[in-house]
Amino acid sequence: MNVEEMRKSHKRLTEFAYQTGTIDRGYNNRTLYINVSTNEIKEKPVSQEMKEKFIGGKGFGLKLMWDAVNDNTKWNDPENTIVVSGGPVCGTTQYPGAGKSLVVSISPATGIVIDSNVGGYFGPYLKFSGFDAMAIQGKAEKDIIIYINGDDGEIVIDEAPDEALDGHVLGEQLTEMYAKDEKDKKNISVITAGSAAKHTYMGLLNFTFYDLRRQVTRLKQAGRGGIGTVFRDKNIKGIVVRYAGTKGNSNKPANFDKVARTGIKLHREIERLDDNLMRIRQVGTANIIEVMSAHDLLPTHNFQYGTHENVVNIHSNVFRDNYLTQGLPDGCWFGCSLACAKAADKFKLKTGPYAGKLVTVDGPEYETAAGVGSNLGIFDPEAILEINFYCDTYAIDTISFGTTTAFVMECFERGIINKDITGGLELKFGNKEAALELLHQMSRGEGFGPIVGKGIRKLKQYFADNHGADYDFLHDIGMEAKGLEYSQYMSKESLAQQGGYTFANKGPQHDEAWLIFMDMVNNQIPTFDDKAEALHYFPMFRTWFGLMGFCKLPWNDIFPESNKYQDEPAKIPEHVQNYVDVYNGVTGFHIDKDELILQSERVYNFQKVFNLRLGGGSRESDIAPYRAVGPVTKEEYLSREDRYNKEMIEKIGMDPSNMTLEERIAATREYRMKQYYKLMDTVYARKGWSDQGVPTIEKLQELGMDFPDVIEVVKRYL
Amino acid sequence: MYNIIDSKYERGAILKVLTKNENICVECHQCEDACSVAFFKAADREKSSVRVDRKKTGEINLTTCTQCGVCIDVCPVQAISRDKNGIVRINKKECVGCFMCVAACPEDAMMYNKDLIEPFKCVSCGICTQECPTGAIKIEDI
Amino acid sequence: MIKVNNRDQEFIHGMTIQILLEKNEFTFPGLVIKLNGKVIEDHERAQALIKDFDDVKVIHICHGG
Repeated sequence: MNVEEMRKSHKRLTEFAYQTGTIDRGYNNRTLYINVSTNEIKEKPVSQEMKEKFIGGKGFGLKLMWDAVNDNTKWNDPENTIVVSGGPVCGTTQYPGAGKSLVVSISPATGIVIDSNVGGYFGPYLKFSGFDAMAIQGKAEKDIIIYINGDDGEIVIDEAPDEALDGHVLGEQLTEMYAKDEKDKKNISVITAGSAAKHTYMGLLNFTFYDLRRQVTRLKQAGRGGIGTVFRDKNIKGIVVRYAGTKGNSNKPANFDKVARTGIKLHREIERLDDNLMRIRQVGTANIIEVMSAHDLLPTHNFQYGTHENVVNIHSNVFRDNYLTQGLPDGCWFGCSLACAKAADKFKLKTGPYAGKLVTVDGPEYETAAGVGSNLGIFDPEAILEINFYCDTYAIDTISFGTTTAFVMECFERGIINKDITGGLELKFGNKEAALELLHQMSRGEGFGPIVGKGIRKLKQYFADNHGADYDFLHDIGMEAKGLEYSQYMSKESLAQQGGYTFANKGPQHDEAWLIFMDMVNNQIPTFDDKAEALHYFPMFRTWFGLMGFCKLPWNDIFPESNKYQDEPAKIPEHVQNYVDVYNGVTGFHIDKDELILQSERVYNFQKVFNLRLGGGSRESDIAPYRAVGPVTKEEYLSREDRYNKEMIEKIGMDPSNMTLEERIAATREYRMKQYYKLMDTVYARKGWSDQGVPTIEKLQELGMDFPDVIEVVKRYL
Repeated sequence: MYNIIDSKYERGAILKVLTKNENICVECHQCEDACSVAFFKAADREKSSVRVDRKKTGEINLTTCTQCGVCIDVCPVQAISRDKNGIVRINKKECVGCFMCVAACPEDAMMYNKDLIEPFKCVSCGICTQECPTGAIKIEDI
Repeated sequence: MIKVNNRDQEFIHGMTIQILLEKNEFTFPGLVIKLNGKVIEDHERAQALIKDFDDVKVIHICHGG
């Protein structure tokens, strides 16, 4: 069936006309609300206070969600809402990495709000179409497609029975369906999930952009937390936006010259220096595979080890030299000269429903190479690319898939589960065929795959309840916190990173803090107060990007020659100033670096209260599984014996030569958990929270976030 | 591995290029006025596609476009291409104003001006050469 | 003894910054190096001689993905 026939099968459910051309200084001052139960579509105004307190992006997402749900809303209730929002800077074309948006919803994995950042053209086009955010509530009866025509000011909802579900197919179909011709395809962006999203809790959303040179629809992901699962639970098949005529001033910036000059400065810096720094334009985020491995930080075999003898087979140059097309302007939004969106073109798939097809694989990102590669004991670059591809098209988060499958493989290796339980799959480390078959099962909704797809929190209970497993041991080795799987960095030897991961609002994602090198290698944060200060500044700074529409990579994956002369080179002060200048240039405001932190702190505390409101966010939920903190097993202790024995002598004050291995493991654990709880106390105090991790009323007043319904929530816990 | 690069090297056999000889430039700046008046109706050297400056070391520096085509491959929307004479030209309507081409140009000949949301460049029209008293800039078949 | 990132390390005669980087396997491309508070440029690494009791900082500008 061709796309014309598919379009003819659409049944129109509703139409909505609206006025376009409303942007002023980065804001439309209105959001879009769509209810797919009632097919109601309406515009909602954005107040001055909403812009002051919530800024945009994740802030708008959280605010709209707060108003939409109730204290007991579950991820699969119709009240659950998916919000997509870019932020005031989103859609800027001069500054690298200014097209990001944040997607927010209640997560099936965690039960609290997840926020997930994503590139592609949808966020900017949604904004240029006329909306600072799009909120979707309710549940459709049958699969629907929502089409936002930002050129003509019209939104329609159609029942759409014939299009595919899988991301790479649906993305192509809808791009072709709604584009006028080949050149117009770049004016279309599609949100898809995939066939596995309904069968798991780790479904992602793909946001497309059309690649003019490759003539292929590319896929960027809002990966974490299962928002794709919510999307499919609402029976949404896809959302399409069209917007033609993007120009350098589409955001109607207050000071175009300021934005443009800052952007050109960074373009030149990237041109001069990237090849000798992180080589982002060559390999994207995969550049740190070998860096992590060299420092014994690359998660291997379910975070037991930090490297492997075969890791050289998946170093970034292997991908660059054999798979990743070089020299193309691979930005995921116009004007990103850092160009991290690499792809392996004409890649022949070996397994699954698309076996034999030549496809474009978007990746591998570092997280994918580590998550479905080293963490699973898979050191075959083609296996990594194939798993990457199927995760994207089926809509499975590679991070959660990797960490969960790693957990399952360790259980299998230790005899906790067996082939009877896995339905015949030999899930040992390194078995790439078995890992791929798990994915295909998730797509088909049959076999062991969907069980694994519920994530580690559910699996631990499932194995304990049904197969006599020792829950405490599973809890030790299952790398999840708050219900979300850890992303792919070894935090075992960095107390700061244990906190950076586990204290994060959404669950252990590294977007809040990445402190491993500052802590372990640079030794820049030796005291508890130092760590707590870093765990205040960096999460506040890093989450600011998500209020704006900025990408984090241009902050510190490139830096100017002058950076080494700065007082705090790790913060890349010139780039922080760049961000302030671009934000001020677009909006006409006059913030400085301190005000930036305050903007972020408001939304951060609001998110924490929202977690509490939904029954999460407790002190208990900030406690890490022991695998994230220290050696659980004998093999782990022995693999780093010198380090752990040294700590025993120097920090714990005991003599390892008098102790059995079990005694040493136990003493290390007791010491490290004490350190962990002390860090937690210090961090809560620095954040202005109670010893249970609840934002105090004074703190909320200080931030201007003491709304009555917010205070009402914290009062329950203070 | 798959390779798709645009027509950077497909410049054809011969095309007209603005060439320069800094040794005989007398810094009269007439070329800049001629160019900016022709294309932007104002004598403003910041709107000229040819520039006469001094390097930090004191020597005269002439900025001219060599029609090399590096910018063609850098443009995310393929707004830059060669016309039927092989001259590299910007399709202003398609341009999204990212200015990656400005930074990528090896000659610094892709120009940004704060009054304009697209960049601009030399199209080998030769108007500037008609004002040059010494022949320091010439249109030649290269 | 010298200090490297505030940790004691054995001093070896004739040790340059370059030798120290190799010894410690500091291969990361984004380094900020200071010898007794003075920035050491890339091209100076092989000549910059370390003396006993010197304070060396090798800051890795790495913040993950």
